[in-house]
Amino acid sequence: MLDLADVHTYYGNIRALRGLSLSVQPGEIVTLIGANGAGKTTTLRTILGMVRPRRGTVIFNGHGLHTLTTDRIVRLGIGQSPEGRRIFPRMSVLENLELGAFARPDRDGIAGDLERVFTLFPRLRERAAQKGGTLSGGEQQMLAIGRALMARPTLLLLDEPSMGLSPILVEAIFRIVQDINRQGTTILLVEQNARMALRVAHRGYVIQTGRIVLHDTAAALLRSDLVRKTYLGEK
Amino acid sequence: MSVAGRALLVVALLVYPFLDRALGLQTVHAVSDGMIYVLLALGLNIVVGYAGLLDLGYAAFFAIGAYAMGLLNSPVLGSPLYGHVWSFWLCIWIAAAVSALLGAVIGAPTLRVRGDYLAIITLGFGEIIPVAIRNLGDVTIDIGGWRPVERLNLTGGENGVNPVGRPYLPGVPFETDPVPWYFLILIIGALSLWAMSRLHDSRLGRAWKAIREDETAADCTGVNPISTKLLAFALGASFSGFAGSVYAAKLQAITPGAFEFQVSIMLLCMVVLGGAGSLRGVVLGAMLITVFDRVVLSQTTFMVRALGRALGLPALVAADLTLWRWFFFGLGLVLVMLLRPQGLAGRRAASPLVADDVEPVGTPEVASSPRLETIPPWLRERLTTAVAGQGDPVILEVRGLTKHFGGVVALNQVDLVVPRGAIIGLIGPNGAGKTTFFNAVTGLVRPDDGSITFAGASVVGLRPNAIVARGIARTFQSIRLFPDMTVLENVLVGEHCRLDAGVAGAVLRPPSVRTEEARARERARALLAFVGLADKDDATARNLAYGDQRRLEIARALATEPRLLLLDEPTAGMNPRETETLTGLIGLLRRELALSVLLIEHDMEVVMGVSDRITVLDYGTRIAEGAPAEIQRHPRVIEAYLGTGYEQELTAPSGP
Repeated sequence: MLDLADVHTYYGNIRALRGLSLSVQPGEIVTLIGANGAGKTTTLRTILGMVRPRRGTVIFNGHGLHTLTTDRIVRLGIGQSPEGRRIFPRMSVLENLELGAFARPDRDGIAGDLERVFTLFPRLRERAAQKGGTLSGGEQQMLAIGRALMARPTLLLLDEPSMGLSPILVEAIFRIVQDINRQGTTILLVEQNARMALRVAHRGYVIQTGRIVLHDTAAALLRSDLVRKTYLGEK
Repeated sequence: MSVAGRALLVVALLVYPFLDRALGLQTVHAVSDGMIYVLLALGLNIVVGYAGLLDLGYAAFFAIGAYAMGLLNSPVLGSPLYGHVWSFWLCIWIAAAVSALLGAVIGAPTLRVRGDYLAIITLGFGEIIPVAIRNLGDVTIDIGGWRPVERLNLTGGENGVNPVGRPYLPGVPFETDPVPWYFLILIIGALSLWAMSRLHDSRLGRAWKAIREDETAADCTGVNPISTKLLAFALGASFSGFAGSVYAAKLQAITPGAFEFQVSIMLLCMVVLGGAGSLRGVVLGAMLITVFDRVVLSQTTFMVRALGRALGLPALVAADLTLWRWFFFGLGLVLVMLLRPQGLAGRRAASPLVADDVEPVGTPEVASSPRLETIPPWLRERLTTAVAGQGDPVILEVRGLTKHFGGVVALNQVDLVVPRGAIIGLIGPNGAGKTTFFNAVTGLVRPDDGSITFAGASVVGLRPNAIVARGIARTFQSIRLFPDMTVLENVLVGEHCRLDAGVAGAVLRPPSVRTEEARARERARALLAFVGLADKDDATARNLAYGDQRRLEIARALATEPRLLLLDEPTAGMNPRETETLTGLIGLLRRELALSVLLIEHDMEVVMGVSDRITVLDYGTRIAEGAPAEIQRHPRVIEAYLGTGYEQELTAPSGP
């Protein structure tokens, strides 16, 4: 479904990705784990066409994403909850969610999905009329994920969805990730919370300084020494 | 610039007018006028480039300077200061002072508004001044036939002021020769440039930059945004006062038409073209535009006409390119913005992420845990002596704190006590009001009801920067550094409220200021070493890795010498190793420095591990308060916040 091959992405003269390759099959949850600055977010930005790879290819269902603009890529069916909760602060919660479905033609489906988001995050229903910017940090995080779901993507990119959420919501968010996956959405999940991510994912990749150093099934990664020491904090 | 380069420039500037005379070019006059605009652009640069305030009406201050000189040093209105050998030399200072004063007076009400609104207000001000000058030439007040004021001339009206007294120096022919003017303006310009470059590298310059980058963060780091911006306005205006008075005296006459809106825009073009914030850039931009305007356009017109005559094309013979000046300015500005948005000499913001090949390929580097012996001795001394003087066992006491936002109750009768030297956890569901609580304690939002007592005194109603000065520092949930300042500068801004250097100190740098500045840098470096950023002084803050940015924010907060530290989700987005390091740091601060900490955190391992007591908020109301073990078992907390999966997490080898 999604295939990155030997991708090199630069910021100016700085190499952020150094020959990164990974693939996501339809129906999977794949997680990408790694330290801050390893290139996780850059990988997502490269997939979405927000930075162009200098070398390598990004293929999604036969389309070469590395030549397309971000809006075209989103219309191909890739959704994202961006890093840093980039919600529209002066629009209401409801308007934010509706904008998520901007590129969709099916009115009925949109109403159904809105209901689904409100069921997942009752807090957003309570605050539907409030401006996005007045939400707390965690609520904005919910809104960013909800907005991504509204596009009903075939592939959903999630950038640290658990960041800043309360323990009960962290649990909920990973359940939600599994739910929407069962409903047919393929997911690429970038997470700092490696333990939870590996629990819900089918496969995982470990990224260090811009390249993949390890990939395996999630269960095998949970047992691997490198992952346990570096990303799970075990001694 | 190298020493040889500087020397060459000085020689060129000194030789130029004589060379010009020898060659008969007669450009000294135009170049001197150009240098006045350079001086104006430099003044505007303080406002726009340093403090980041868009001023669309700067020509108004130019007018004020020029009219201050014109009215004080002219026989038209019968000024007693006119006609002495010292008239000009006195009036130029009065003009600068008047401009600075009016800059402050006009700035005071407008600087509370931000961004676009401020620009609109300055635009209005820039229009008002020339209109007022035009209309104050003939003032009559008529109250039912009684005329207390009749045909009073305050400004010379549409005709302006003529003549304006010239400067007098024995043996120097200011009347007939442009060369003395050139040197007079050169000296004023050089002194201004020197003063500005010193201001830039001072406590005040850092405060301006910090406000430009993030006003709220600057406020919460101890920089008073109102007075700091006002100072930028007043200083910027005072330089235009110098420029205006020289301009008036050089021209010998001033009319309101010389200070129209276009002048403001042209000055703004100079700053933006050269690179806002860069002295060299602004000088370059101003010189380019004036030379283009005064020399290139007229010379090119001359050539085009000659060409037209030679070719017999009447369209070219009648051409006047000077009529197209605004077209060329506009085109130049568009091109610069497209090709080089930071300006000709501005610095491009460095690329994000760390430099190539510095990260080890194996296990990612994580800063080592902070060690006891790396605690900066000065910080230990400052904090522990402050504590010794205070007997009160409670550092922060909040009672009945209430805050509404529209119909939403963000905080409802919240009580919270932080004993001296304690670590208190503040947890609760997302949107429960935890950050609002921080914002109320730090002065960012004003509570509707309730009391906040810090070290025995109420802090309700104080500005955030004043609360920092009292000894409360904070970090932000979404990191708020000054992203384009260096790591060291970020920490130095934290020391702002503990340093004293003012404008005169910044420019003249007496020994006391030098010592203070050297000590501030030494302290900042010690703090950086303490939090594990020892070798990153000169890195730009935005280029730091995420965990390093968190640590830098803590170092900046510590630089304010707090007695209470508010940390808003400090470990969010950190991996388990980084989290462990940070937890160690928090414990060390409390143990060794007796620092009290109020901690918002969602990582239960951290909160339960370091907190003495925990307060739980839900929907703005306190639903529980107690020791960590009690909170973990509290049914309402489990229901609203922890969830049932939490116990599994606890039994797992390590937390989330």
